[in-house]
Amino acid sequence: MITLPSRGLPAAWRVSGGRIGAGILIAIVLIAVVGPHFLPDPAAQPDIIAGPTPPGPGHLFGTDELNRDILARVVGGARISLLVALLAVALSITVGAVVGLAAGYMGGWIDIVLMRLVDAALAIPRLFVLLLLLAVWEKISLVAFIVAIGATGWFATSRLVRSEVLRLRGEPFVLAARSLGASRRRIAFRHLLPNTLGPIVVTATLGVGHVILLEAGLSFLGLGGVRPPTPSWGRMILDAKPVLETAPWAGLFPGLAIIVTVLAANLVGEALRTYFDPQHA
Amino acid sequence: MVRWLASRTAQAAATFVVAVVLMFFLMRLSPGDPLARLVGDRQVSAAELASLRTRFGLDQPLLGQFRAFVGGVAQGDLGASIAYYPTSVSELIVARLPATLLLGGTVLIINFTVGIVIGVWQARHRGSAGDRWLSIVSLTAFALPSFWLGLILAWLFGIHWRLLPAAGMTTPALDPGAGLLPRALDVARHLVLPAATLCIITIAVTIRHQRSAMIETLTADYVRTAQAKGLSERAVVWRHAWRNAMFPLLTLFGLWLPVLVTGSVFVESVFNWPGLGSLAAEAILNRDYPLVMGTALLVAGAVVAGTWVSDVLHVALDPRVRV
Amino acid sequence: MSRRTLIWAVVLTLAACTGTERRAPTTLTIAVGQLASSPVPTMTEGASANSDVANLLFLRLAELPPSYRTSGDSGFIPRLARSWERRDSVTLVFHLDPNARWQDGVPVSAQDVAFTIARARSVSPQMATLLTTIRSVEVEDSQTVAFHFSEAYPEQLYNATYHVPILPAHLLEGVGDHSEQQSAFVRQPVGSGPYRLAEVAPGDHLVLQAVEDFFLGRPTIDRVIFRLGSDPEARNNMLLTGQADAVQAIAPADAPRIAANPDLALYTVPGFGVGYLLFNQQDPNHLDRPHPILADPRVRSALVHALDRPRMLQAVYREFAYLPQGPAARLHWIVDTTETGVPFDTTVTTRLLTQAGWARRSDGTWSKGGHALSLTLNYPSTSRVRAQFAQLAQEQWRRVGIDVSLNGMEGALWIDRRTDRQFDIDFSSATMDPSPAGITQSWSCAGIGGSNVAGYCDPKVDSLLGLALTDAGNALAHYRAVLETIRADAAAAFLYSPSTIFGIHRRFENVTIVPYSYWLDVWRWTVRNGAGGGASQPADG
Repeated sequence: MITLPSRGLPAAWRVSGGRIGAGILIAIVLIAVVGPHFLPDPAAQPDIIAGPTPPGPGHLFGTDELNRDILARVVGGARISLLVALLAVALSITVGAVVGLAAGYMGGWIDIVLMRLVDAALAIPRLFVLLLLLAVWEKISLVAFIVAIGATGWFATSRLVRSEVLRLRGEPFVLAARSLGASRRRIAFRHLLPNTLGPIVVTATLGVGHVILLEAGLSFLGLGGVRPPTPSWGRMILDAKPVLETAPWAGLFPGLAIIVTVLAANLVGEALRTYFDPQHA
Repeated sequence: MVRWLASRTAQAAATFVVAVVLMFFLMRLSPGDPLARLVGDRQVSAAELASLRTRFGLDQPLLGQFRAFVGGVAQGDLGASIAYYPTSVSELIVARLPATLLLGGTVLIINFTVGIVIGVWQARHRGSAGDRWLSIVSLTAFALPSFWLGLILAWLFGIHWRLLPAAGMTTPALDPGAGLLPRALDVARHLVLPAATLCIITIAVTIRHQRSAMIETLTADYVRTAQAKGLSERAVVWRHAWRNAMFPLLTLFGLWLPVLVTGSVFVESVFNWPGLGSLAAEAILNRDYPLVMGTALLVAGAVVAGTWVSDVLHVALDPRVRV
Repeated sequence: MSRRTLIWAVVLTLAACTGTERRAPTTLTIAVGQLASSPVPTMTEGASANSDVANLLFLRLAELPPSYRTSGDSGFIPRLARSWERRDSVTLVFHLDPNARWQDGVPVSAQDVAFTIARARSVSPQMATLLTTIRSVEVEDSQTVAFHFSEAYPEQLYNATYHVPILPAHLLEGVGDHSEQQSAFVRQPVGSGPYRLAEVAPGDHLVLQAVEDFFLGRPTIDRVIFRLGSDPEARNNMLLTGQADAVQAIAPADAPRIAANPDLALYTVPGFGVGYLLFNQQDPNHLDRPHPILADPRVRSALVHALDRPRMLQAVYREFAYLPQGPAARLHWIVDTTETGVPFDTTVTTRLLTQAGWARRSDGTWSKGGHALSLTLNYPSTSRVRAQFAQLAQEQWRRVGIDVSLNGMEGALWIDRRTDRQFDIDFSSATMDPSPAGITQSWSCAGIGGSNVAGYCDPKVDSLLGLALTDAGNALAHYRAVLETIRADAAAAFLYSPSTIFGIHRRFENVTIVPYSYWLDVWRWTVRNGAGGGASQPADG
């Protein structure tokens, strides 16, 4: 039995905000999947002497310092950013949910040990841990990169799930299930987990925005998991830094791409938050 | 109350210790030789390498190094930095503290003044066009990558319009005889862009939290009572509603303390702001173990202290919380 | 304007003016990417930031001639040594300038010279190798010192003077290496040069103060400030906004913007550095076996022919670099500037690969015996230039079907991989000594196990290098033959030898920049009249 989330009366703009956000995200996914077929090769360097050229016919967003089409690279970067974000967040919420469930439901010393570790991990800035981890590998394969980001992002989720579980533990439907003889595992996964889905989904959606920003930041520091010639938004901004004065478009468009994507994800996240928990929206 | 305080403090101490230990072993277990930076691609004899290794205690087994580290910390000695040898770690950290506190402090103050005012305004005028626009703007601000925003601002105000300095914290060519006021003004001018970058992004969170907290209290019964009693709008909002709406902000304060200390690595890098964030990042990349541990101690301490302070403030000030 | 505002305006103006009653000192602010932490000869740990400052604090016996020709005795410029003469084919005698003093007042003596050479040899094996031909240094009297060499060869004067500026024996004699006393000396060095270290703010700036009674003439510039700017853009900004007067290593793309500024002048200084793609001839997985792909000289040559090197150079460096045809920069006196080297010709590439047994697949890539022609290229991610060249090369190789994936890795890791010979292609960049004798380290069979990380070994090169070092008359021909052989063996693809671009404020005149130690001659610059103030402050309130 699942308790239905209460439907608050969201303010008009929020619902439309969520719709707009979702619309943008779908558009981005479509462009990322289909776009490359209509655009030039993002790695092609037609005329390296020409260097960066301003937006114009043939190159809608202009070209970068190696004379590669920026629009093609922005679209290519979308693929990577979305892939990294989705997979990393999936990893984070899975680990976080399991840990949070275990801590909240089992209680006792498991809870204490796990939460102490989570607290300690939260005391170390995520960026520093990532710098450490990423500097380890010389070929930061994409998989390793995603795992590293995912593995450092589950702490807050685990706390959230744990507090939800603690709240639900004493609810009638849980006690009823116990008295009917359901095993602890069954209760955890069939009854508790689905009711924590609300906050988890919100965290996940907002997490997508965080990870996109984080991935861009790491690429900006030169530690991204994406290697040339595969484009990455953060990397494009890094490459655009020296030519910012003469070729501002090279840094402008990848930045805008990041902002639009993260904003869209945040709009959806906010709308979901309103849906699942209107009082605290 | 006292019991709670004692257990909460013990918890904080334990967290701190575990965090530091985790950082220590994580650092040591990642490959990459700190001496490689020093040595570069010169030809270095085995003897020279060995003497360097001994100098930094890198020839000891891992647990031995840990014991040496703990022993050093107990005596207040954080050792000498490998990359900046012979400068000591504490010297390097202390040199960066003023810049970090200045930037972080400014951002904090602006967040908790401007942010609160805007959040309260939005709550009072919720649903209006202004509220909607501000929400959109603040959500967009939150989606901005800090390094990108910093670059754009640096380019616009620093190079294109030549209004503000875009690098560093001071102008060292300033005559050393210059008085306090010109020097303070100089630092202030350098502070504007990095602080603006951080504020724009962080204020979005503060505004949102304050807005939602205020909405909650403004619709509460005791507020209606106050209004019915005939109190002025200002009194109702600030003396009654806000008193209760400020509590979520205490949590925020606890979260912002580490930001205050570590600065933002990206913003410091873009603006060449001599703060702890970039020092720590550089140290990690250099495998400068002593320096990394020194900053780790500081950062972990700040985070743990921050959450402790916010918890204590909650207990002390919020009448709804009882321990 | 209201009364209150007026009063505030006056107060602020007065406050701003009170600090500047005396004339502001002439200051040169240099924005650098790394600050010197150990600016003492023999303790520079190889960092150019350290040696740049060390060369302002400490003097050599003599500096290189303007031609940078390291062989022979002529043209060297007197510094601590006022004159020298050759007593026989293995003995050089230096006469020190009697006016030379240490900054604590003690005169510079021959004992300091003897001490310095001995010290350099004992603390650094690398120095010991460079100074190995100096059999002994003999103090004849307080102003006269004789160098006795183990054999006759053309670079004796170079070896005696270039490698290490002179240290004060009276302060460092008996002081242990890495001891507390030495650290104290590093924090407050006492040198014989035109500047002394006045102030250090770690991570921010370094201030050098002119030595009033410098024996070769008081420097016009009172203070030299080295200011840290973490990346090239920050440093350029400092220069453009007036926070810095001089910046080194401006990227070619930024040069026009700096040149457009009426207050700034651009100086292009050729360098001694060479950037090249080094092919590993050993198998990274089994170091005693040859590389499965790159051990074959035809494959290496094919790779080099597939690169349009002149075009790549122009794309990255515009006109600010020289295309090297071997491990020698344009400033090295052995170089033949008419030599055009390996031409860009992809037909040669396909021909050579086919000859070497590789077959082209339908998708354009190459395979042989079931293995694809696929390599990795390592480079330090911090080097923008190498990142750019790497991407250019990758794309050009991709067009001929050669798959090269790029490993931009963090600095310390890149060095590790390189030293451990764990690479296919390594993007190396070497700043060489002015003497071509340095070629031996990385390009001779003897260098394997040391700097020769690629395992390149051609006995012809070794013997030619040996001849060049002893046969003064034909040294040029021998060195050119060495370069020719390295080219023919396709040991590496030589991509760039950058000139360094400097942006310097126009109020500084008589500006000379020395390629092997940029700020060496700063003490001889002059400043235009009336422009005595610091970088961004007016001379008075």
